[in-house]
Amino acid sequence: MKMKSLAVGLAAAAFAALAQADINVGVIVSATGPAASLGIPEKNTVALLPTTIAGQKINYIVLDDASDTTTAVKNTRKLIAEDKVDVVVGSTITPNSLAMIDVVAEGETPMISMAASSKIVDPANPKVKWVFKTPQNDVQMSTAIVEHMTTHGVKTVAFIGFSDAYGEGWYNEFAKVAEARHLQIVANERYNRADTSVTGQVLKIMSAKPDAVLIAGSGTPAALPQVALMERGYKGKFYQTHGVANNDFLRVVGKNVEGTFLPAGPVLVAAQLPDSNPIKKVALDYVTKYEKAYGKGSVSTFGAHAWDASRLLFDAIPVALKKAKPGSKEFRAALRDAIEGLKNVTLAHGISNMSPTDHLGFDQRARVMVKIENGAWKLQ
Amino acid sequence: MDLQIALLLGQDGIVNGAVYALLALALVLVFAVTRVIFIPQGEFVAFGALTLASFQAGKTPGTLWLLIGMGVAVAAIDSFSAWQSRRPRRILQVVGWNLAYPLLVGAAIRYGAPQEWPLALQVLFAMAVVVPLGPMIYRLAYQPLAEASVLVLLIVSVAIHMALVGLGLLFFGAEGSRTTPFSDASFQLGDLMVNGQSLWVVAASAALIVVLYVFFERTLYGKALRATAINRTGARLMGISTTMAGKLSFLLAVGIGALSGILIAPITTVYYDTGFLIGLKGFVGAIVGGMASYPVAAAGAVLVGLLESFSSFWASAFKEVIVFTMIIPVLVWRSLTTHHVEEDE
Amino acid sequence: MGPRVVLAVFLAFLALGPAILPEFYVTLLNYIGLYGLVALGLVLLTGVGGLTSFGQAAFVGVGAYTTAYLTTTQDLPAALALFGSSPWLALAAGLLVTAAVAWLLGAVTLRLSGHYLPLGTIAWGISLYFLFGNLGFLGGYTGITGVPALSLFGFELADTHHFYYLIWAALLGAIWLTGNLLDSREGRAIRALKGGTIMAESMGVDTARSKMVVFVIAALYACVSGWLYAHLQRFVNPTPFGLQIGIEYLFMAVIGGAAHVWGAVVGASLVTLLKQWLQDWLPEVLGTTGNFEIIVFGLLMIFVLHRARDGLWPLLAKLVPEGAGERTAVPAAEPLSRRAPAPAGTVLLEAVDVVKEFGGLVANDRMSITVKAGEIMALIGPNGAGKSTMFNLVSGVTEPTSGEVRYCGERIDGLEARRIAQRGMGRTFQHVRLLPAMSVLENVAIGAHLRGRRGVAAAVLHAERAEEARLLAEAARQIERVGLAEHMFAQAGSLALGKQRIVEIARALAGDPNLLLLDEPAAGLRYLEKQALAELLRKLRGEGMGILLVEHDMDFVMGLADRVAVMEFGQKIAEGVPEEVQNDPGVIEAYLGGVD
Repeated sequence: MKMKSLAVGLAAAAFAALAQADINVGVIVSATGPAASLGIPEKNTVALLPTTIAGQKINYIVLDDASDTTTAVKNTRKLIAEDKVDVVVGSTITPNSLAMIDVVAEGETPMISMAASSKIVDPANPKVKWVFKTPQNDVQMSTAIVEHMTTHGVKTVAFIGFSDAYGEGWYNEFAKVAEARHLQIVANERYNRADTSVTGQVLKIMSAKPDAVLIAGSGTPAALPQVALMERGYKGKFYQTHGVANNDFLRVVGKNVEGTFLPAGPVLVAAQLPDSNPIKKVALDYVTKYEKAYGKGSVSTFGAHAWDASRLLFDAIPVALKKAKPGSKEFRAALRDAIEGLKNVTLAHGISNMSPTDHLGFDQRARVMVKIENGAWKLQ
Repeated sequence: MDLQIALLLGQDGIVNGAVYALLALALVLVFAVTRVIFIPQGEFVAFGALTLASFQAGKTPGTLWLLIGMGVAVAAIDSFSAWQSRRPRRILQVVGWNLAYPLLVGAAIRYGAPQEWPLALQVLFAMAVVVPLGPMIYRLAYQPLAEASVLVLLIVSVAIHMALVGLGLLFFGAEGSRTTPFSDASFQLGDLMVNGQSLWVVAASAALIVVLYVFFERTLYGKALRATAINRTGARLMGISTTMAGKLSFLLAVGIGALSGILIAPITTVYYDTGFLIGLKGFVGAIVGGMASYPVAAAGAVLVGLLESFSSFWASAFKEVIVFTMIIPVLVWRSLTTHHVEEDE
Repeated sequence: MGPRVVLAVFLAFLALGPAILPEFYVTLLNYIGLYGLVALGLVLLTGVGGLTSFGQAAFVGVGAYTTAYLTTTQDLPAALALFGSSPWLALAAGLLVTAAVAWLLGAVTLRLSGHYLPLGTIAWGISLYFLFGNLGFLGGYTGITGVPALSLFGFELADTHHFYYLIWAALLGAIWLTGNLLDSREGRAIRALKGGTIMAESMGVDTARSKMVVFVIAALYACVSGWLYAHLQRFVNPTPFGLQIGIEYLFMAVIGGAAHVWGAVVGASLVTLLKQWLQDWLPEVLGTTGNFEIIVFGLLMIFVLHRARDGLWPLLAKLVPEGAGERTAVPAAEPLSRRAPAPAGTVLLEAVDVVKEFGGLVANDRMSITVKAGEIMALIGPNGAGKSTMFNLVSGVTEPTSGEVRYCGERIDGLEARRIAQRGMGRTFQHVRLLPAMSVLENVAIGAHLRGRRGVAAAVLHAERAEEARLLAEAARQIERVGLAEHMFAQAGSLALGKQRIVEIARALAGDPNLLLLDEPAAGLRYLEKQALAELLRKLRGEGMGILLVEHDMDFVMGLADRVAVMEFGQKIAEGVPEEVQNDPGVIEAYLGGVD
């Protein structure tokens, strides 16, 4: 009997929360575990997000999935069932986001992923109707690198990446583009994020004598292969991925990175963008806010994906509010439709034009090539 | 693969293996004396390295707060029991070691600008912050369970590992750090280029192994530890306190762990969670050594280092698969050749 | 309120769960069920069998990946197409694959002794994880999407609530099967593993087989959990099957109480709920959303272990008054068939010129003894004379370097201890080797292991109850025979040492031996206990039993034995009736040691 009255009580409490009609945004980030260096800036960013949109109070409920798929799914179920969220933002990494798709589709709740793989918004999957994402697809970044390589006389390239979904996703996309552009991949190596030595892989790469090396790692761990290659006297070009785009990477890799190229979202070099670029204003706004809160030089491009998710909501929520009240199934559907209908939204990472077949909506403006010069990021 | 590559891989394997060997020794020591499989060993590798890195970056390391916090806890518990058993001098001793010492170290770091210190002093202070955590952890977590089964002690180790990894992330963030090398020199050895820091790692490991040998063979405390390792009850009857032996072994183990971290921090990037896999490989070495024999444990650890290095050349994606699958036949061989005395548990 | 009522309330709660609990709690209970299933395997493997495994998560992965691969791959090879046609057939395939993998891994790693085994499990746990991640057809690190929902009789179980019943039916079913197994002849053999290999083998248990049985069963539970996980989550990638999670499963089993089937459920619940609550409450308590959950979780777990090192289940079980669950009577059953007794005076045991060397040290030098049916033969000698070595040679614990040991004319040196037990030789141990937490009855029933036939399959379904009743009745008979009827249902560990030694004799008798080997049975016994023991041995002799006694209590031996052999420095220095031996100058010299 007690149980029953408890359940009634809980239901009443839930109903009361509903009646207030705040908008609840559930955020799932990988703030601990292997992907923590990506998830922490995203989590930090949530604290900077607007607390009212179109006059409605926004509640952010932030949960950590510890870089684990099971926890990500469990948290998604919690957000939908307990917190009655109107939208889920997350998760940080691809496998977790993929695992969450079924849950948000079942709960008919829109989701904005902050992970890279294009598989997350693959239009062939009907459930993806509910799923959007803000980071550039790997393939977009890969194309940028391959283009840069081929125009700079690189004929052979060696690949070394994380032995996880990040390295794997990059290799798959990169290999596809490279093959199409007749760029030969002469070595394909993997290492673990926390490995203390990559001597074996580096020797293998050196013996393949590539014109360039692409390192697909995120954050400071991406420094290790480059440092080891430099120590062994490798003289070719270095390419990194946008995963390294934070100042910690520059700190750890030290003087070894001069002349390294990488594709990145424009937010990385916001201040260097021409004033005519609409992204500049949005990106600088984010950088300023983040560095004000967390210290100079603390910003990373990953946090901006959370920022961009919020920008999408900022434009979509007013549209959805016209159709239904927050907390309802109708509102979630309206919100989904509104996000899908967004056009020309300027984000810190690019300009998004959503459509039923493109739930990312980025074009070439969403990535720039950056060179590391004098220990700083330099727009090419 | 030519000879030069083989030599380079061998060198790399030995450098890594030397670190695994140190950890293996520490693990064997702790297990033999206390029956604790000290999984958190690896965390102290990270703590040592990152504490030093914090000094060099001009920050106060979070480990200092941990030291002070745990010191307060130990001081409170031990003073209370000393007060109950009416031993006022013991209270003085307890408070001195667990309260005054951390605060003094803390004051030196807060007001002494460690960024400017010479490297040796930085290393010394990094050790001064991290090493006492060993006996404190023994006091707080293991001492109340000294007679529990190996399995329960193991699970406590897992719980401590979880808490320490969480603390590591809190203290140092998710990104890694490198520290200034002890030596920038590099030597040409035939075709082989050897950098100074690698020599430091191997030399320091070898030296430490010799020091430990002398400690166990020649000193009173070393002999007491050995006696406890051979026969706990007997040692207690001979007046060797199990608690003292436990704290001492944890002091040594954490010291070895922190020093390993400090040694490798200039040649690789150390993260808050680097320690687990390093510790695990040290554990593999230790078990190959049967958790009892120091030289065999060290040899086992070097073997692991070599296996790792060569497999990362041949099939880097399958490196861990190769290393750990190759370990199984070694284990079977060890298991069949060592005389196993059935435990009365 | 007895245990049955508590169980009924718990089951009723589970049945009504989805109707009364908030939605998300049903989700949590689903995960608890999935984890509980794996932890249950660990209870069997680690808590009961004493084999520590860090690698269970890898078996969960085998189950999950098998079904994910089979049910999502479009053009399977013809041989696999059938298994891919339905998740239920994929489950069958998963179980087959898991059993094969477990058998293979077990064949290699279960022979590892001591700490090698846990490390072996770490090794294959890590290897399998990286294999999942590196094999392209398994979706790599990114994972396999689009795993179909389960359906049962055409009814799709896409909803959390429907899945809830499936998961808990699986878990409760597994608990029932496990409970049955443990309460059976095979189960006692598994529980005997913790008493040490030598004891179990001497009772006729094939320990290698018993280890393999628990290992495979634990792996199969993990596989079922993985299969359920894959179809609940509808997505599979390597992270949930890594070493860290493998360690966490062990963690759950130990925190819950690794020695009890319900400990698995308690452990899985505690870990899952605590993590959830910490996630909800810590940010409010601390006012910030740092990553404190894992830190506080670790500290709380240490605290729990300090308070309850055997896990939480024993503490919870104390809250429930004892009642109907405990056995209080042994039903009558048809007696087991007995082996033909040896006629009094026939030579049972004959050791001829047995030599045993350890390295260069000669522990036994050309030792010869005989034991006949219906006599008590005593082997005595000072400490270190080599009596125990001789005892081990005769009972099959070690092999002689040279010489022969015969039993009823058949050579038995070099045979395994359980083969010797099979031929009708029972033994006790110098250091009592009973399972202290088990009842006297069950301890004694271990001795009758070889007199039963029915295997694991019958045991888990309790289809062997008739045979089981006969085994227990036999054990009860032996307990009465040695005069311990009043302690039959007490925990063996609660008895005084003297009584425990008698229990060991009853256990040896339960094997229906013709020859009894007793290793220092009077050590540590009080005067009255010794008299009772002597009385018992005389009675057994009267019934035609041959008894070999290794002892150094002279008074005890001299009043009891028919013949005495004296050993010193590995050699026999005298043999004969007690009076002769007592007056032998060599013996006096050996015992009193050069008092000139």
